[in-house]
Amino acid sequence: MSRRAFVLRGLALLLFVAFVTAPQLFAFVFEPLAANRAPAIYNQGSLLALTLSHLRTVALATLASTVLAVALGILVTRPWGQEFLPLSRAIVNIGQTFPPVAVLAIAVPLVGFGEKPAFIALFLYGLLPIFENTLTGLTGVSPQTLEAAKGMGLNARQRLLQVELPLALPVILAGIRLSVIISLGTATIGSTVAAKGLGEVIIAGLQSNNLAFVLQGGLVVALMAVLIHDGLGLAERMAARKPGRHGGEAA
Amino acid sequence: MIEIERLTKRYGATTVVDDVSFRVEEGAIAVVVGTSGAGKSTLLRMINRLVAPSAGRVLVDGEDTMAIPEDALRHRIGYVIQGYGLFPHRTVAENIATVPRLLGWEKRRIAARVEELLDLFQLDPGEFAQKFPHQLSGGQQQRVGVARALAAKPALLLMDEPFGALDPVIRSRAQDDLLAIQRRLRTTVVLVTHDMNEAFHLGDRIAVMDRGRLLQYASPGELLLRPAEAFVEQLVGTAERPFRLLSLTKVGEALEPGHAEGEPILLSATLRDALSQLVWLGREALPVVDAAGAPAGRISIAQILRHGRALP
Ligand SMILES: Nc1ncnc2c1ncn2[C@@H]1O[C@H](COP(=O)(O)OP(=O)(O)OP(=O)(O)O)[C@@H](O)[C@H]1O
Ligand SMILES: [Mg+2]
Repeated sequence: MSRRAFVLRGLALLLFVAFVTAPQLFAFVFEPLAANRAPAIYNQGSLLALTLSHLRTVALATLASTVLAVALGILVTRPWGQEFLPLSRAIVNIGQTFPPVAVLAIAVPLVGFGEKPAFIALFLYGLLPIFENTLTGLTGVSPQTLEAAKGMGLNARQRLLQVELPLALPVILAGIRLSVIISLGTATIGSTVAAKGLGEVIIAGLQSNNLAFVLQGGLVVALMAVLIHDGLGLAERMAARKPGRHGGEAA
Repeated sequence: MIEIERLTKRYGATTVVDDVSFRVEEGAIAVVVGTSGAGKSTLLRMINRLVAPSAGRVLVDGEDTMAIPEDALRHRIGYVIQGYGLFPHRTVAENIATVPRLLGWEKRRIAARVEELLDLFQLDPGEFAQKFPHQLSGGQQQRVGVARALAAKPALLLMDEPFGALDPVIRSRAQDDLLAIQRRLRTTVVLVTHDMNEAFHLGDRIAVMDRGRLLQYASPGELLLRPAEAFVEQLVGTAERPFRLLSLTKVGEALEPGHAEGEPILLSATLRDALSQLVWLGREALPVVDAAGAPAGRISIAQILRHGRALP
């Protein structure tokens, strides 16, 4: 990592932490946007608490999507599970094409208001990228490597855990990263069904016609997305360094 | 020792390996040759049960392979394929340690074995142990592939075109290295190749396959002098035949008494080497010396001619 990239990352992180813990410090930036003496900084709750529950919902939903999508990806790449490929594809595709707002509308009567419907919507929405990347990663392992593994007497479980998953890991991580980023933005609509999150700030701004709030909510989400995207990208590169095929350097 | 008995593989209506039987003695190298699609790889992969036979059986040291759990069987049989299939996410040392680790060897024993093998294959452990496969040349990867297959000291080594991806110079060195290591370890080897030169260089016995059938299983000399079918004769190459024959005989076996002038040739050289030297120097005969350099006799063109043809 170059020195400049390192400094830039540190600054972005610092800015983010400073803003969510002490937003009043930045009031001067937002004052011009707040019409006729409305508050410039969100004042109906703690920005930090909202950020944390936003993150929590996204993390839990992504974790659940990852578990299911990776499991499905493994299943359909086993010889005995191949017939489930069309079905699995259909499930994750529906999860992606069905609008999250509609999922919320359907989920609320079933599970009530709050975080649950938001979790369900994000979970379904996040499946596709992880599933497709798991599939790409697992089917991308060279047939020779697998033949050698089998020929040396690694059983199916050992081949999966010691060869296939480690080799597919960078691609799977890329899918998870994509899913997280999509979820971070999508999670804002959770506030329409009373899930705690940064959507509240945006909605409050829309209701009171306060552009400053809308911008704050949007900026926090965006900054978080950039930071997480970057952090996970770093993790991916570390996972890929060993195989040395995806940009790892020769020692 | 390995005995292949009436081994057959069918895919639907097509018979890919058709009633093949042969036996490889302990410590011998059997080479399987034949055109593409002849069923060589399928035959080899039935030995370690990567392919399930439709009929027939394989005995390793008298034991039916079907009686051994397949993973346990494969731990006992080394396997090298074209392209080697090294694990790209594991270091050279970890790659070589694969089967010993599966067998639950102690850490220290594994480390010692890895070092021993790296030495055997002339790869400096300090330099290579921690490298990843993509940091190696083709020839080095090939050696790691064979070292990995030999790690748990298998009595049997299966090799499917192990030198197929190497350039001619490296290939010939790799063949010599394999021969030397095989003679030392006394491993029984079944090797598949397209390359007749390789077959004659390495094989104690050569199995010729065509469209699933085993046409002939014989020593290289017999294959040349008494080909069972026209196909074998053609595969061996009519133009190459006398030279292949000469390369099977050592100068020591055709030695004549007497002296000759010129650069001496070793007793252990082949008649092919001697002929090449004679033609190059434009001489009728050359002196022969033993490994210590003491004169042993002479070898002449006339004598070589007597050995390079079908009827003595
Ligand atoms: N799983 C399979 N299903 C159907 N046919 C197969 C299968 N595996 C191999 N075959 C067929 O069996 C025949 C022999 O294949 P094999 O790989 O043993 O040939 P080979 O002698 O090793 O050829 P090459 O020299 O090209 O490697 C080929 O015609 C191939 O198409
Ligand atoms: Mg083959």
